[in-house]
Amino acid sequence: MADFYQTGIITTLHRLGNPSLERIEAELIEYSKARPLALVLPALYSEFGGKAMPGIIEELSKVKYINKIVLVLARASEKEFMTVKELMSPIPYDVKVIHNDGKRIKEIYDTFSRNDLNPGEDGKGRSVWLAYGYVIADGVCDVIALHDCDILTYSREMLARLCYPVVNPNLDYVFCKGFYSRVTDKLHGRVTRLLITPLVRSLRTLAKDHPFLVFIDSFRYPLAGEFCMTTDMAKVNRIPWDWGLEVGALAEVYRNYSPRRICQADIAENYEHKHQALSAEDPAKGLMKMTVDICKSIFRTLASEGVVFSDGFFKTLQVSYLRMAEDTIMKFEADAAINGLTFDRHEEAKAVEAFTRAMGMATQVFFENPMGSALIPNWNRVTSAIPGILDMLRTAVDEDNR
Amino acid sequence: MEGFLSLILEPINEVYLKFKGFFPNILAMLTIIIIGICVAWLVKTVFLKVFKAIKFDNWCDRMGITALMRKGDIWAKPAEVVVKVIFWLFVIVSIMVGFSALNHQAINSLVNQFFLYLPNAFSAVLILFIGYMVAGFLSRAALIAAVNGGLSYAKLIANAVRLMLAVLFFAMALEQLNVAPKIVVSAFTIIFGGIVMAIAISFGIAGIETAKRIIEGEKTKLENDKKGDVEHI
Repeated sequence: MADFYQTGIITTLHRLGNPSLERIEAELIEYSKARPLALVLPALYSEFGGKAMPGIIEELSKVKYINKIVLVLARASEKEFMTVKELMSPIPYDVKVIHNDGKRIKEIYDTFSRNDLNPGEDGKGRSVWLAYGYVIADGVCDVIALHDCDILTYSREMLARLCYPVVNPNLDYVFCKGFYSRVTDKLHGRVTRLLITPLVRSLRTLAKDHPFLVFIDSFRYPLAGEFCMTTDMAKVNRIPWDWGLEVGALAEVYRNYSPRRICQADIAENYEHKHQALSAEDPAKGLMKMTVDICKSIFRTLASEGVVFSDGFFKTLQVSYLRMAEDTIMKFEADAAINGLTFDRHEEAKAVEAFTRAMGMATQVFFENPMGSALIPNWNRVTSAIPGILDMLRTAVDEDNR
Repeated sequence: MEGFLSLILEPINEVYLKFKGFFPNILAMLTIIIIGICVAWLVKTVFLKVFKAIKFDNWCDRMGITALMRKGDIWAKPAEVVVKVIFWLFVIVSIMVGFSALNHQAINSLVNQFFLYLPNAFSAVLILFIGYMVAGFLSRAALIAAVNGGLSYAKLIANAVRLMLAVLFFAMALEQLNVAPKIVVSAFTIIFGGIVMAIAISFGIAGIETAKRIIEGEKTKLENDKKGDVEHI
């Protein structure tokens, strides 16, 4: 990033000059003695066969300030679980692999269900939530960092910059979100560029700059899957189990903490991971499903903040969004041109049309059931319902990793 | 030749007659065991339904019993574990009753011993269960009191209370089971006495200075009071 402009109501930490990785890591080693750090990695077994995971493991082997890695492994058999433990063994510090489909963890999920606590459907949200539970149960780490396992451009500098604002006690941030550009020979990140930003700005116009919208609009990459927070925050925040995970998590951060203690950090020059198909014809898959879930999450958060939605509001919103998104396409076309990037304007317009349709579907779902929530209860509520659940979870994970 | 044949046939005949006399007992034993297994299965099904209706698993989750099971690496549902225990108890009892149908003196004595031991086993389980609840409650109470008292080692105190009560109730259960009662009582006395003595010594040594200050303070106060006394005629 070339500028040092502060946007919105949260703090933006830019990448300025040539920051030394050695210096930041040395500081992190010192700070992590007082604020131990756990890294949560939600992963599918299939990701271990991809290109990204070996690179991530290699980079993590060199990191010296992490106290513990908690890897939540989904869609894996017993044999595959053992393979993953073996693959993670080069990492020289404590690594716990949570076997999401193992008999012990399944019994933990059954315990939630019979006590009327819905941990949601299988997915990143539920995996992350379970990992938070283990970190809380372990009681050692004060800070939790999280990133995906499909990052092709992963470097340990990314992790260091993500953790630094929260681990450093002198800065005293409770939450830090990563941001980066996603560029190859063309611009990626369609959902952020063509859905979130135009939608939030249209909503700001209609909902008179509601503070939540101003908060969301302050983030340069609200859908980034990389963030770092205090363990206390993990106890009180609820997590959505669907695609609304990132936006829903931000809504919880907004609800529970002052924006002065929230920041975003420039963690990478460029970021590349697996791309989702648009799936314009099937709203139950790909980016369409993601769009529906994100829109539902934003609408429900705003409704809970007292914004009144009517049929007219949504009609205006759709028109306003479409105009805003079209203007955004033009801006990015110019951005691509000056940087010599390929830009398919027709594809971008098609994406906007698909997003508009998905928004209509989300509106319908919202009207049918405005209360319907995909939020998993926070850990404070869970431990209040089942006092021994954290002990059970820790025992399950420790036994699986014995 | 006839003599030789009778030598062979007589023992066989004798065994046959003995078997003939004993066969109804075996049949009775097998019948009792089969009926016992059927009853056990029926009781298991009924208990499972009752436990489901009264939400026994949820109750165990809230009371910390499930957590205790998990610590022992038992990952079945609490209700399933209890009905399994009930089922096997019925099966074992029916096997014992079946054995008594054999009318053999040694077996009868073994069966009697088994039935005499059952109340002890039941009492031991009850003691462990009550002990777990009491230890949990008192340890929690100690934790709350210590935290409210501003003690930084509150968790240590709570864990110590839990451990001491666990030792006490475990010894009680073993004594009830008649497992080397003399050794258990002696071991318990030594361990418990040792813990109490260690606490007394550490408390005493740590409190020497404080006690000294208090006594000296009292002494000085008494002397001052004496100096200030006015003698009335």
